[in-house]
Formats: sequence, C-alpha cells, structure tokens
Amino acid sequence: MAALDIEHVRKVFGGKTEVLKDINISIDDGEFLILVGPSGCGKSTLLNSIAGLEDITDGVIRIGGQDVSRKSPKDRDIAMVFQSYALYPSMNVRQNISFGLEIRKIPKEEINTEVDRVAKLLQIEHLLDRKPSQLSGGQRQRVAMGRALARKPAIYLFDEPLSNLDAKLRVEMRTEIKKLHQNLGTTIVYVTHDQIEAMTLADRIAVMKDGILQQFGSPQEIYDEPNNIFVAGFMGSPSMNFVPTPVQKEGGMLVAKLTTLEGTTFSLPLGDRGNVLGKYEGKQVILGVRPERISNVSADGNPEDSIVLKSKAGVVEPTGPDTLVHMNLNGIEVNCRVDPDYKVKTGDPLEVIMDLSKAVFFDKDTEARIV
Amino acid sequence: MVNTHMAQRDWRYYLNRGIIHFILLFAVLFYLLPLIVMVFTSFKTMDDIRAGNLISLPTEWVVDAWVKAWSSACTGVKCEGVEGYFWNSVAIVVPAVLISTAIGALNGYVLTKWRFRGSEIFFGFLLFGCFIPFQVVLLPMAQTLGWLGLANTTAGLVMVHVVYGMAFTTLFFRNFYVNIPDELVKAAHLDGAGFFTIFWRILLPISGPIIVVTIIWQTTQIWNDFLFGVVYGSGETQPITVALNNLVNTSTGVKEYNVHMAAAIIAGLPTLLVYVLAGKYFVRGLTAGSVKG
Repeated sequence: MAALDIEHVRKVFGGKTEVLKDINISIDDGEFLILVGPSGCGKSTLLNSIAGLEDITDGVIRIGGQDVSRKSPKDRDIAMVFQSYALYPSMNVRQNISFGLEIRKIPKEEINTEVDRVAKLLQIEHLLDRKPSQLSGGQRQRVAMGRALARKPAIYLFDEPLSNLDAKLRVEMRTEIKKLHQNLGTTIVYVTHDQIEAMTLADRIAVMKDGILQQFGSPQEIYDEPNNIFVAGFMGSPSMNFVPTPVQKEGGMLVAKLTTLEGTTFSLPLGDRGNVLGKYEGKQVILGVRPERISNVSADGNPEDSIVLKSKAGVVEPTGPDTLVHMNLNGIEVNCRVDPDYKVKTGDPLEVIMDLSKAVFFDKDTEARIV
Repeated sequence: MVNTHMAQRDWRYYLNRGIIHFILLFAVLFYLLPLIVMVFTSFKTMDDIRAGNLISLPTEWVVDAWVKAWSSACTGVKCEGVEGYFWNSVAIVVPAVLISTAIGALNGYVLTKWRFRGSEIFFGFLLFGCFIPFQVVLLPMAQTLGWLGLANTTAGLVMVHVVYGMAFTTLFFRNFYVNIPDELVKAAHLDGAGFFTIFWRILLPISGPIIVVTIIWQTTQIWNDFLFGVVYGSGETQPITVALNNLVNTSTGVKEYNVHMAAAIIAGLPTLLVYVLAGKYFVRGLTAGSVKG
C-alpha cells in the first residue's frame, strides 16, 4: 500500500501566484522521500501541505490510502521536525516529548513508557529534565526528533532539520537519521536544499523548481539520467559540465565536436546515441558530462566509449581525495577530476580521458535531455 | 609592561571615574530634590514650614500631616481625607489592568499566530487608538456609559480604561509574539493542541517579561489618570488623583503644605512601588526581542 500519494496537487497564492503546479508523487510504506530544490521552489510549501499547515487549491493528498486533503493537521497521523526545532521553551525535554501524547489523552503510564523508549532510542535519557535553552544544537535536534517519534505516526516530515547545525555535526546527524530510518522502517518525507543530503538519505528524490516537479526517481536515476539541465546541474558537486557542441556526420558516423583553446579539435563518436541525435545533425546540442568522467585514469567500462583529450591545464584545485583541473572546451570552462598524484600545474600540458558511457545530451532550447 | 600600564591607568582612570561619579551624583541629587522637599515638608509642622527653608530637615519629625491627609483633610465639601479615594483607585486599577492585559495578550496572539484576511489593517486601526487624545473620546464615551447605565460607577471607569488601554496592551503583546517563531505554534498544532491550549500552554508561559511590562504600564497609566476620573467618576467613585486636586484646591483656610505633600506622596506611592518591585523586569521586558527556543 502506498504510504503517501500526492495527485495533481496545485497551490495558488492570492489567486494568481502558482507555487505548486500539478505535483504527482507516490511513495511506498517505509520509503525515504527527499524533496530537494533551490529556495523558493515550493518544497517547503509541499511539505506544509502534506502536514495540513497549508491548504491546497486543487488535487488530492492521501496518507495510507486515506484522503486527508481537507483534514486538520492533528487528524493526519503525521509528525514533523522543524528547521528551528520548535521546542517549547517553557517545558523541559520530557514535557516536550510528552506534550503531544498528553493532548491526545493517552494514559500517564503509557506516556512515561513512551518517553523512556524514545529517550533511549535517541540517547537523550540524561537530558530529560533540562530546558531547551540548556541544550546544544545537536541535542535540540535529537529532542525534536524524539517529539516526532513519540507518537509513532504514519509519516514523519522533516523540514530542513540539519541546516542549523555546523558541518561536522550535520554529517553525524545525517548518518543517524539514516540509521534510524533503517532500524525503524518509517516513512519519511524530508525537505532539504542540500543535494548531498538528498543523495545519501533518499530512496526517492523529488527535484523541484519554480513549483514544478522536475524529476521523481531513485537517487541513481536522478544522478545518471537527469530529465533536464536543471536537475543535472543541481545534483552533484562540482556540478556537471555543460558543453555546447555541434553534431555532424564524419565517415558515415555521427560525432560531436570538441575544440580546445589551442584549436585542436576532437570528435566524440556518438555510437548508439546517433539514432536519436540524428535529427540534430548540423545543429548544436549540449553535452553533459560529470567531472569524475573526465580523468587521468580511465573509468571502468567500454574503452570504445572513451576519448583522450589533450590541452592545457587551467585553474588547479586540490581537494585532498582528488584534484579539480579546469580545461577549455568549445569556449566553456570544463571541470575535470583527476588523481591527486597526477601532478599538474596551471599552464602544463594536460592529457585526460573523457568517459562517454554516462554522458548525456540536452536540447539547447528546451534544456530537456535527449539521450 | 604590565606594571607601567597599571601605573598609567592609576591616576587617569581614577580621575575619569571621579569626574563621572561626581556628575552622576549631581544628577541623582537634582532629580531627587523634589521628592526630598516633599518628604521633608510632609513631616514638618506648619510653623516649621514657615520658619525654615525648603530643603532644611524638619526640626521635629511629626506624622500629623500624614494622618490628616489620609483620614481628615477636606476634599471639597467632605473632610474625610483621601483614604476612600485611594481604595477607589485600587478598585479601578486592579480589574482594569488585569482585563486590559488579558485582552491585549489574546489580541496579540491572534494578530500574530492566527492571522486572518485584513488582520494587518485591523492592527493598524487598533494602533491608531494609541494616538487618539483623551479629549476626543470624552463626549462619545460619556454618552456610551449613559446608555450602558455605567455613568458615575467604578465599573464604568474600569470599562473606559480597558477600552483605552487595549490599544497599548495589544501593541505590546503583538510586538512580543511576532518575534516568537511561528513554528512553535505549528508544532503544537501538529501535536493536536487547539487555539486556547496553544495560548495557555505554549505562549503564556514564555510571556513573563511582556506581562510585567504591560502591567507596569497600565497600572501607571490608570492610576495616574485624572481626566477620565474627573469626568466619569462622581463623588463616591472618584480616584485619588481627583481627590488630590480637590484637596489642594480647597481654598478655605490656610494652605497646609505638609498635608498637601503627604497626600501627593500617598497618591504617587503605588506607582513608585510598582517600579521599585518590577522595574528591572520592565527594562528587561522592553529589550527582550526574542525568546530563544
């Protein structure tokens, strides 16, 4: 049974500003859904709509098969973790966790058992008598999660829960949330603007922009087969390289042309993709290739899909595990990710292998992926 | 290094401190002077007042003037002191402050956490109420009190003060609650709490500073009010400010400065007391921007 169905959901503010445009998402029980996108894309509005904190203009939201579109938040069987944690300042941790249970008139002993269970699960037993103001950011985060866990709802909603933590703590909490999800098998909808969080946590990712669902799929699908330039550029860091390139026929085969700053031209064989790209012959398409696919060492895969590029190194940025080297192709700065042992300085001759097995091509006008 | 630095600090530091302290001390004395004069005069006999100067200590400390001001001084035709009027004021201030604070808290809560279409305009108009001069509402309010059958009653005065104070109390609470994150209310909403539960369990417990500010403000305003008291209160329900005026302006006989001063101090004591007891919360409340959640 689907845990959450979002069907043709629209949300219009003030009669004209459409912040959600025909959103369709469906996830199964126990799945981890991430809503990701730049600020103002409507992801938080969608989350609030699922929670019932905002009304939707059109469409249906079903939780566990039941239509909750017009139900009040408290009747939707959901719990939410807020960005600012939203812990009740006047209550201690125990009271914060038990408040929701108390309101729902659950017997006292049951509440105590539940609070103890949650506290143990999140390792906050020693904090139960403290006020939120006496907690660190990470501890507040745990308490906020504890408050959500205490009710055992059908769906957990997370609204950018890690964005207020420092970088190190964020990575730790990310792992904990993943662990928690794996142990409890809960259904989670999680909003973030951080694409790494999205990739690491999600079973399903919904990428949004301007109120439109750009793509909905598994993390690997989103990463390898992005629907359009926006999705391709948003997911992955450093971002995918987008190189406009002309498509021509060469020796009976369709190729894409890459020219370096020095004027050397390379022909990329398009292989099977030629069937689809045929109608673009003589026109320009946009080649999308991720930095890790342009490297000094050959990536695994069919060597026929690879091509050696020779040029000069531009800016060199060592990151530790690997080094980013810029080169110029068709007038565009292209990021290559090379081994840190591959010693290269700005201006040095550069020889890299471009692996085309995962390269994608976009239409120049619609920005949609062709193949 | 440290030693020379300390040596340098020595004389300059203490000279600066000395100058600052001298100026502050002078300012304190300057501001306290009227009070000192009042207190000294109230403990003097009339002979002492005529003989000495304003700031001299009483040659003999007597409380006759205080007793007379409290229980037998003439305020107009009656000569029963200000005692009755003092309690009149208390009977007006306590309910008026509590009711207007409660209404202000609820208004502020609705205007920030349960916004409705036009709530900003509504708040704008309410704000306008802070700037309406007393004189403008005098006649319409008299008419209204007449219709309600509350003319010349304590209840009527309470109502006038509640209505007039509401604009201020709402402003205070609205500005306090607007800094409290909406997510707090959303979280409580998801926890299943309703309108009043959220107000009572989540917002009121953290409203301490602004409640103190509002109570001090309202107490001072209502206790010190003269105009509403003189217009809407009859002899029996008049507040102490009106009685004080009548006492001082009663023109028969000699001007008993000691009695006047004692009565004036009695009239001012409650507001003074409120400041002394809750003054630090007042400052804290005024500067408290947000509550860290």
